Amino acid sequence: MIVNAELYVKDLPGRLVGSLEPISMVDGNIKGVVHDREQIVNNRISLNVTFEVEDSTRLKELEEIWKARDVIISSIDSVYKTYPMEYLLIGNLTAAYIENLMEEAAKRVKVAAIDMRYSSKDLHDDRTAMISVKVREKEDIEKLDAFLRTACKEGNMTYVRGL
Amino acid sequence: MRVFIAGFGTVGQGVAEVIASREEFFLKRYCKKIQIVGVMDSTTYVTDSEGLDPLGLVSVKKETGKVGKETYTDALKVLDSVEYDTLIEVSPTDYDTGGQGLKNIVHALECKKDVVTTNKGPLAIKFGELISLAKKNKCKLKFEGTVAGAMPIINLCHDNLIGENIHSIRGILNGTCNYILSKMDSGQPFDQALKEAQQLGYAETDPSGDVEGYDSACKVVILANSLFDRNVTLSDVSITGITGITEEAISLAKSRDMVIRLIGEVGEDVLEVAPRLVPKGHPLSVSGTLNAAQIQSDLAGPIAISGRGAGKTETASAVLSDLISVMDDRKE
Repeated sequence: MIVNAELYVKDLPGRLVGSLEPISMVDGNIKGVVHDREQIVNNRISLNVTFEVEDSTRLKELEEIWKARDVIISSIDSVYKTYPMEYLLIGNLTAAYIENLMEEAAKRVKVAAIDMRYSSKDLHDDRTAMISVKVREKEDIEKLDAFLRTACKEGNMTYVRGL
Repeated sequence: MRVFIAGFGTVGQGVAEVIASREEFFLKRYCKKIQIVGVMDSTTYVTDSEGLDPLGLVSVKKETGKVGKETYTDALKVLDSVEYDTLIEVSPTDYDTGGQGLKNIVHALECKKDVVTTNKGPLAIKFGELISLAKKNKCKLKFEGTVAGAMPIINLCHDNLIGENIHSIRGILNGTCNYILSKMDSGQPFDQALKEAQQLGYAETDPSGDVEGYDSACKVVILANSLFDRNVTLSDVSITGITGITEEAISLAKSRDMVIRLIGEVGEDVLEVAPRLVPKGHPLSVSGTLNAAQIQSDLAGPIAISGRGAGKTETASAVLSDLISVMDDRKE
């Protein structure tokens, strides 16, 4: 799992390295570190670190080590890499229809975020729905493409997807 | 080298003009000129084994509407009436049967002549057979002008990227659709943009070949067969045209900083022509009648090219590069 943590460490020599070392101790892999010397609270500096650990057990171990080393954990969250894709569906559609469609899609792929916008009806009673989706796995893009393509074919809608 | 030009419309005349304008180049490179020994349009022909005056041919065509005084009913007999080395086949295309262009190409290859063509239909329908025939008779079949006019996509991949594994090619392969979609970007409705394209000569009176995606699909087939060693025809391509694109769709795309473009895509498992959402600033977000392509290869990564996809001189430029390639191969 990929994790992002906001830490506060004492502004003393060696403390910065001392707060990153435990990640290696739990066989973790550091992805990125942002060290902000301007953000000092109670003589502690802010450190934002993104890293990968095997599972939540290893993460718990890491949190214990940090606490033992007087590192304050301000926030800690799992983060996921997401894959964005945009779609336009054009035809005789309603917002309710598109929302149901995307609910069905979410049963098939891991959706991290979704945003939908609609045009008003045009002269031919057609509407356009613009759907911006972020999925958690690359393969999900293909699955979602196939699902929406089939839905558009069945619903006699024009299907436009991103590159 | 003696050439026979089959088809003397816009492209044929452009080829004649370019041959005339590059006379010194050919003399310098090969110590010889390109001789046009025969030309035919849809009803008439003219031949001269000593060579015809290229610019004179264009003048006659412009003045009389015909290239020659002799009429014909059998184009193949006309081709047999004079000795030539290379057929330049630039007659109007026929997506359904390949038309007379296919017959001309097959006949020339059977007679062991090299062929340079801009005619998409025959290649989209009978690519495998034509390549086999050319190989069997040890002839060259060159067709750079069939895909994206002056944009040198086929020769770029065949020559410069020869050592690369090309994973995919995505591109804007039809200037008419791109013109219409670009006009829609600035608020024009589809029908009005199409009418304007017709008035400017970009679109045919029957625009279905362009706007329904068949023209792009022919090019996808040619790219797939020539660059990916596939053996596919038009029926293997998933085709969606741009007739379903509304002004509202364009506006919604714009609100996300994107444009809609008709994209042809060729990959190992993909053969598709469809309208796609393209971020503004992306190499495939070009406007007007421009064509563009993005080649994805293993070593070089993405390579983008763009250029004029149609037009008299632009298409003749592709024919010129193929003629030079044929002459280089013949070590003339």
